Amino acid sequence: MKNFSHLLIKEIKELLNKQLIISLVFILVIFNFIGNVTRTEMKKAMAKQKIAVLDQDRSEISRNIIGALNMARFIIEEKTGDKEKVVQEIRNSNLDLLVVIPAGFGQLASSFQPAEVETYTFLRGVSISGRTKTEIVKALLNSTNEYLSNEYLKKKIPDADPALLKAPIKNREFVVVKEKQAEGSSAVVIGALTAQNFILPVILMMIIMYSSQMVITAIAMEKQNKTLETLLTVPVSRGAIVMAKMLAAAVVGLVSAAIYMFGFRKAFDFTSMDDISKALGGVAPILKQLGLTINTQGYILFGISLFLTILCALALATILGVLAEDYRTAQSLSVPLVFIVMVPYFISLFADINTMSLPAKVLVLAIPFSHPFFAMQNIMFGHLNLLWLGIAYNFLFVVVMLWWTTRIFATDRVLTMKLKWRKKKVVL
Amino acid sequence: MAPVLEVEGLKKKYGSLEALKGISFKVEEGEIFGLIGPNGAGKTTTLRIISTLLTPSDGRVTFLGFDLKKNPEKFREKISYLPEEAGAYRNMKGIDYLEFMAKFYATDNNEAKKYVERAVAISGLGERLKDKAGTYSKGMTRKLLLARALMTKPALAILDEPTSGLDVINSLEVREMIKGFTREGVSVLLSSHNMLEVEFLSDRVALIDRGVILDSGTPQALKEKYQASNLEIVFRRAVQ
Repeated sequence: MKNFSHLLIKEIKELLNKQLIISLVFILVIFNFIGNVTRTEMKKAMAKQKIAVLDQDRSEISRNIIGALNMARFIIEEKTGDKEKVVQEIRNSNLDLLVVIPAGFGQLASSFQPAEVETYTFLRGVSISGRTKTEIVKALLNSTNEYLSNEYLKKKIPDADPALLKAPIKNREFVVVKEKQAEGSSAVVIGALTAQNFILPVILMMIIMYSSQMVITAIAMEKQNKTLETLLTVPVSRGAIVMAKMLAAAVVGLVSAAIYMFGFRKAFDFTSMDDISKALGGVAPILKQLGLTINTQGYILFGISLFLTILCALALATILGVLAEDYRTAQSLSVPLVFIVMVPYFISLFADINTMSLPAKVLVLAIPFSHPFFAMQNIMFGHLNLLWLGIAYNFLFVVVMLWWTTRIFATDRVLTMKLKWRKKKVVL
Repeated sequence: MAPVLEVEGLKKKYGSLEALKGISFKVEEGEIFGLIGPNGAGKTTTLRIISTLLTPSDGRVTFLGFDLKKNPEKFREKISYLPEEAGAYRNMKGIDYLEFMAKFYATDNNEAKKYVERAVAISGLGERLKDKAGTYSKGMTRKLLLARALMTKPALAILDEPTSGLDVINSLEVREMIKGFTREGVSVLLSSHNMLEVEFLSDRVALIDRGVILDSGTPQALKEKYQASNLEIVFRRAVQ
């Protein structure tokens, strides 16, 4: 035990070197920069923005529309004169939205005849603020349409409710999960669950990738620096050497992933956090009624699934590390592992594992990293058989891989196993 | 007196390649035993098997009465191995490296401290031990590693090409270090393709070629037997 902790400390110190610390700080700086730039753009989009309006009608309705635009976070720069000249003028300015209310608009609208409003968007990029402006103007015109059509219906059919006339069928939505049922929109429920869990696959992917790369690099560096042979002859068990490397990689991998995720959340919290809390505020009782919440037991099961998956990744990575001769080879060898992790990552984002065809499902679940990606969903929807099957599969996988890894370290293969395209050379 | 190390009929195969074809030799307490032979003769394979890095295909190795196959951990406790192309952890200071290695052999911190003090004296690196090993020259790294191998006073120090890649001055210093060490009762098994070096250092030598020991004895006895002025000529005549 003394030798194990001694080795573990050394491994952590070796992995947590200056280069790694610098790269982690760099990641935080980059995320902070991205966050600041995006937040500034978002603030710009939310702040009062200048738009141009050319009111050629000057009727009561057109003045009302301009007043409403003013109320909707816009600073109005009113233009007069010929439309073509105004368009030309704005083309050379920094304004990027022009609303033209043509002459006769008010008369047509008040006599309930089709009337047109023209909007000109001057594209100078694809920023969020540009899109938001046109969306707000569209929403405003929709409200005006709604108001005018209601007025029209009231005038033509005074006793009828315009809202009922326009939408005679009312839809009451119910969501059913197994035996439980709740009134609410399935789109809202799915949206809330997706928003709640969108960060999880990213965290999982980062943890698995970072830990694997750490252990591959740790072993490859022992070979490259010619320290492995000496280490293997000191009075410490080979199992302790393997476990110290794996545990150190897991610790440093978890710390790196945590820092990465901290930066990621700091950069993008302006959208996700508010939206999630708002969405959950209304939908939380529905989720509770449907049993789509995670209790302590659920979190423990998820933790077990995640822990076993990390061990699977580390055991696989250790074998790959033995195959690597140096740091460069180690980096190349970690690429297939990254791609394998990405399979369940993308499937968890875009598909439902439970509705996939059997061969595809088996193929995905044969990847040991897949199980925690679907664990939360399986816990919430009560697919516990699948979850336990995943845990059992990963446990078996870990036992086999650890046995194999320790065997490799206990025999010549730790020194002779190499991924070489050329004929193997043996030092006599 | 029983030998410290006894090797009997040792064989090693890498697939179809037979690297060792049944070699036998003994190392007595306090002696320097040299394995000499050209590149590819099987010297490194022999040393790697004794230091528990490789498993033998056949034959028997006993060290202080312990069998290699049954008790490899006993070998690791009492043997220090210096590989031909060894390195130290580049991000570790020399002194930290010695401390790290000492703790594997020491029963407590005081013993580890003694080992480190000893290694500091053996290495002769002085203040440079406070620098990271990555900044050391090849000669300095070799001295550090040799100090690491000898600091615990192992019952057997296995040194593979101890002066490999070193300049004349550093080679002389390392040879003096090895020679001085056996005065404290430590046995040394070393290999080299530099036969003059082995002749200078060794009490007894074995001539090895293509996995077979051609002959063994004291350098003086071998020179007389083959009527040669040095071991290089001895080796050439033994091969013929």
